[in-house]
Amino acid sequence: MRFWFAVMRQAGRNLRQTWPSQLMTLLTVSLSVLIFAFFNLVYTNMINSSEQLGDDLRLIIYLEDDPGPAMQEQLRRKITNFDRVEEIIFVSKEQAYKRFAKRLGRHKDVLKDIPTDFLPASIEVVPMKNLRSLNQVKLFSEYLSQLPGTLKVQYGQEWIERFYYFTRLLSIVVFLSGSLLILTTIFMVSYTIRLTIFGRQAELELLKLVGATNNYIRTPFLIEGVLQGLIGSSLGLFSLFILYQWIKGHFSGPGLLELFSFTFFSPQMILAIVVISILLTTAGSFSSMQKFLRI
Amino acid sequence: MVELIKVSKSYPPDIIALENISLSITTGEMFFVIGKSGAGKTTLLKLISNMEPPNSGLIEVAGNDLRLLRGIKLAKLRQRIGVAYQDFKLLLDRTVAENIAISMEVSYKQPSQIQKRVKSLLDQLQLADKHNSITGELSRGEQQRVTLARAVANSPALLLVDEPTGNLDGETTGRVMDLLKKSNNSGATVVIATHDESIFKKSNRRIMELQRGKIVSLKEACLS
Repeated sequence: MRFWFAVMRQAGRNLRQTWPSQLMTLLTVSLSVLIFAFFNLVYTNMINSSEQLGDDLRLIIYLEDDPGPAMQEQLRRKITNFDRVEEIIFVSKEQAYKRFAKRLGRHKDVLKDIPTDFLPASIEVVPMKNLRSLNQVKLFSEYLSQLPGTLKVQYGQEWIERFYYFTRLLSIVVFLSGSLLILTTIFMVSYTIRLTIFGRQAELELLKLVGATNNYIRTPFLIEGVLQGLIGSSLGLFSLFILYQWIKGHFSGPGLLELFSFTFFSPQMILAIVVISILLTTAGSFSSMQKFLRI
Repeated sequence: MVELIKVSKSYPPDIIALENISLSITTGEMFFVIGKSGAGKTTLLKLISNMEPPNSGLIEVAGNDLRLLRGIKLAKLRQRIGVAYQDFKLLLDRTVAENIAISMEVSYKQPSQIQKRVKSLLDQLQLADKHNSITGELSRGEQQRVTLARAVANSPALLLVDEPTGNLDGETTGRVMDLLKKSNNSGATVVIATHDESIFKKSNRRIMELQRGKIVSLKEACLS
């Protein structure tokens, strides 16, 4: 208890004497956390959205003609030969016409002189939830396009491909900003502690001479590291939350955010970011002391 | 309390500071080390306080071989040794009270106990009005007394004092010597390195004279 009281007093003294450089480090940690957390938040939301899109994914096989019951059975068998699927729905030319007319609503009069079999028959295939990667969907689509009597297979290729490439790009940005966070945090914290050590070389030497234990000298620096990580990451996350609320407030209503149901980090994720920041800043402070104190 | 056996110390390129010093200082003794500047007095104190290692020989303090002491054991021993350095080693941007308190803080003394002790020492050394003064703003003589106060603050078992009266007038020298005698009377072993004849001439304690790193005389204590 007395030990902790003594080192807390020492840490408080350090902070009072070196507050300008401590403030700079705190701002750097906050900014690094803000950059990383921002991209991570966008990435997490994009991944969530891609899962939602995946839930709605269905492949449509346009056929030359309405298949009879025997043909339907054969097609069903061939489709399930490739992989198990969630659902197979046969849509005849007539059903397609009715759906279209229903969609046109009060404008359905435009179909008055058009024959009811002008739309092609189709099969709607809902793949299993585990068929999620773009390559798997592509392979399945190629297989389906070779089924007898197939005109074309559609699943919104272009849009889905772009979306997948965008999430991949985001994952790279998250990785890079994460690395940036690690490097800047460790560098800045160890740099500040080094400056503090240089500035207080005489005091540290005296402390050793009057019998301060290594823990008595080290612990205040570690406490500084923990505080920088805790306060820096909290500030960064709080700034991001303010930014998130502002974006939500200004861009609510029908639009992109409605489509993607944008959400903030879960409490577990917030805790993980704070804990990792604390570990990084403490590691930065520890490495500096090992190098420069040689105690 | 302190044992030195054939201790030698030299500095590059070939300056011999101490040569084959063998010495035994018993617990509770007040021991004077005298000699001109460069005789090796300060080096002797540095070796005993483990600030520097000897080139050869054995040094034992309170039964501990200094070569083998590391980490927490070394720290604990240093807490029992009070040193008043010739170059003071004060933190000039701190207050007088903070400088004196530092030796008690590292042994986790209660803040109230620290405050009481600091006040008492400042009174004894006529520095009561300097409690909150910045140490760098004090005169050399005042800084010297602060150094001494820091050395005795933690009630050490061994007190090493290097030229304690170098910057002091006659009256203050008397006060400083009173403080050292008080520490000695309460059980501390006191080793004083000095060339100030006034403080050891009339003393009946043991006096060792160094010259160019060698012991040239050792006057035994006069029993009265």
